[in-house]
Amino acid sequence: VGSSPARLVIALSVAAVLAIFVVYTALAGNGVADLTPSSVSGHTGEVMLVGKVVGKPQGNANERVGLHFRLRDIDRATPARVPVVYHGSVPDLFKTGGDIIIEGTLTSGVFVAKPGSLVTKCPDHYAPKKSSQT
Amino acid sequence: MAPLGRAALLLTFGLVSYALIAGSYAAWKRRRRLALSAQNALIAAFPTTLIAAIVLFVALGRRDMTFNYVWAHTSHKLPLAYALSAFWGGQEGSLLLWLLVLTGYAGVAVWLNRHQRELVAWTVPVFGLVAVFFAFMLCFVSSPFKLQPAQADGLGMVPSLQNPYMLAHPPLLYLGYVGLTVPFAFAMGALLSGRTDERWIVATRRWTLAAWTFLGVGQLIGAHWAYVEIGWGGYYAWDPVENAALMPWLAATAFLHSVMIQEKRGMLKVWNMILVALAFNLSLFGTFLTRSGVINSIHSFSKSSIGGWFLGFLVLMVTLSVVLIRWRLPLLKTKTKLESLVSREATFLYNNLLLVALSLTILWGVLYPILSQTVRGEARSVSKPYYDFFLHTFGLPLLLLMGIGPLVAWRKASLRSLGKTFLIPFVAALVTGIALLALGFGSSWPGLLAYTFSAFVAASIVLEFVRGRAAAGGIFRLIGRNRRRYGGYIVHAAILLLAIGVAGSSAYQTIRQQNLQPGQHIKAAGYTLTYLGATGVKGSDYTGFRAHVVVTGHGERFNLDPGENNYGDGASGTNAASIYHDPRSLGDVFTSATLAGGKKDPSRINLTVYVKPLINLIWAAGFLFVAGALIAMWPDAVEQRRLAARYAAGAAPAGI
Repeated sequence: VGSSPARLVIALSVAAVLAIFVVYTALAGNGVADLTPSSVSGHTGEVMLVGKVVGKPQGNANERVGLHFRLRDIDRATPARVPVVYHGSVPDLFKTGGDIIIEGTLTSGVFVAKPGSLVTKCPDHYAPKKSSQT
Repeated sequence: MAPLGRAALLLTFGLVSYALIAGSYAAWKRRRRLALSAQNALIAAFPTTLIAAIVLFVALGRRDMTFNYVWAHTSHKLPLAYALSAFWGGQEGSLLLWLLVLTGYAGVAVWLNRHQRELVAWTVPVFGLVAVFFAFMLCFVSSPFKLQPAQADGLGMVPSLQNPYMLAHPPLLYLGYVGLTVPFAFAMGALLSGRTDERWIVATRRWTLAAWTFLGVGQLIGAHWAYVEIGWGGYYAWDPVENAALMPWLAATAFLHSVMIQEKRGMLKVWNMILVALAFNLSLFGTFLTRSGVINSIHSFSKSSIGGWFLGFLVLMVTLSVVLIRWRLPLLKTKTKLESLVSREATFLYNNLLLVALSLTILWGVLYPILSQTVRGEARSVSKPYYDFFLHTFGLPLLLLMGIGPLVAWRKASLRSLGKTFLIPFVAALVTGIALLALGFGSSWPGLLAYTFSAFVAASIVLEFVRGRAAAGGIFRLIGRNRRRYGGYIVHAAILLLAIGVAGSSAYQTIRQQNLQPGQHIKAAGYTLTYLGATGVKGSDYTGFRAHVVVTGHGERFNLDPGENNYGDGASGTNAASIYHDPRSLGDVFTSATLAGGKKDPSRINLTVYVKPLINLIWAAGFLFVAGALIAMWPDAVEQRRLAARYAAGAAPAGI
């Protein structure tokens, strides 16, 4: 049983997959940090921010001023509010009280989002009355 | 009504608990009559679950607002079909659907195989164990029959879910997810009973195929839903919840291929056990992921308390699988060995390794936030580039193998015969590659490779049909004579269309986005889109606008009217994308629009246009996929007689 070619193939394949993996992570880095508005301060470099939109969004994502809004933590009522400026297409479910995922960098207190990186979460629970309170 | 539902669920819980406990004892002590009664209890669990399901359906249909579940997911003005679809719109209903499908599948699968007493004796308690978990959750943790003081009206359903796809996409996925329990239960039953020959595979082949087909079609329908409804021009986002369905599908694909090697050559027994356990546990993990909210996903279902329960059950099932396989390892030794690295068996093995590697790298990507949180104290995510890289690295060789595998001889193929077999496909690929390069398709090397490989695979499939037809005297007789094989080729052709459509619509797409005033235009991939103006629209429960766009180019002229619908509260809207299907390029001109000027400039819009060549092949692939799978699944009298003869004497199958 020792010298079955099947084992050789499997061993070589596993080695190949691991090698590809190591090369990929070495070249392409290993992802971006997932942060919440309360944990983002102090982070430089590109991160992913997950939060709930509070207040009325201002401006326009397709013009130079950009779309301005603020995010808070989704499930914990921490006082942290992060101002965000965003350019690019705005998904249809984007709204006050909606949960979003956005990529970008924190630059002197303002989260400057990568254009087009705004993604809304689609909820399975519809609560129109609550959403306008936040 | 609610007490009836609760009672039915309690009864189900009792029945499946009995199937688990009495069934295990009976199988262990070889008590035939007790085993039979455990089996009957499992079968009886389906009608009792069905009663609970009917109660919930009726409550949803009547919008009975004393049911907390009905109140939370429907409203009086919600159309009946969507009110009924709220059955799988929330967590409790989804769990009930899981249990309903599980008990239905278990009952039928056990009944059909009732004559294989020893195998079924241990399969019943495995089904029982899975069902006990879901019945327990429904009875004691997350009941769909929770009552409340009657409310005037319910919360309703998210507008973007009010779509005919809501009636098909979730149930199909559940039929797929849950279906993977059947091969798993029989595999574990085989390990427990020591009947580790090919019977469990023969007994479950069609179940696996059906589950895999449901899962595949369910995902494709979800992709189409996202494409036409969400308005971002895409159909798959590598989101954890999407990946959750893709991973078990990939593992099941590997399993469907490797069981053929065990059937034909008696090899890969351990591997098949590992694959079936992987596929089942990934489908449980998928349900866990969808429902627990542990990972940030765009499909954020309401966070709930059932995550911990699911995790516990998942750990239990993984442990059980590993322990059983480890324990029965001596029985799973095979006598036949791989004779050559160039043979049918070997190409199936490469295919398996690639599929599993792809599935596990996706799993790694999904788990990455949790792992980095644990190790480095900071959650990090990987995104599209990561998944695209591994899709190219493992997916492209897989595509190529699809053309090679079916044509290579069993056992050992000589180089000379290989040259003869692959001459035509190789030339077809070469010609296609050079032609595409000359036409400027070199802008994306994964796209170019995908098309070159596709030409190779297409040529090899066509060759197989041509050769077979000459021998059988007609294409339908050919397919009828060996349904598994030719059904399989048709599925391969479908995957080929899928690959061509995916490559075309991603590697060669054109995207333009611009703010426009009436009269201004935008150009994309040879089309000129002129914006004429916007008008307001009003529906039964929404108001919105439509932009009027005239498109000319490629000798055609057509109108598109993308816009937005804003629902009642003003807080949520949906894009109404407008898509033109070009019958000649099989591609789409996809447009979406938002108002960009606000109140002071209401006719100014932001128009996004995606020109996506060949994307319609993806949806066409879905139909071909179902057709091929049905052919491969169709009952085959010749095969039945052959199998009956093989197992009649109770002899272990030969390794040939």
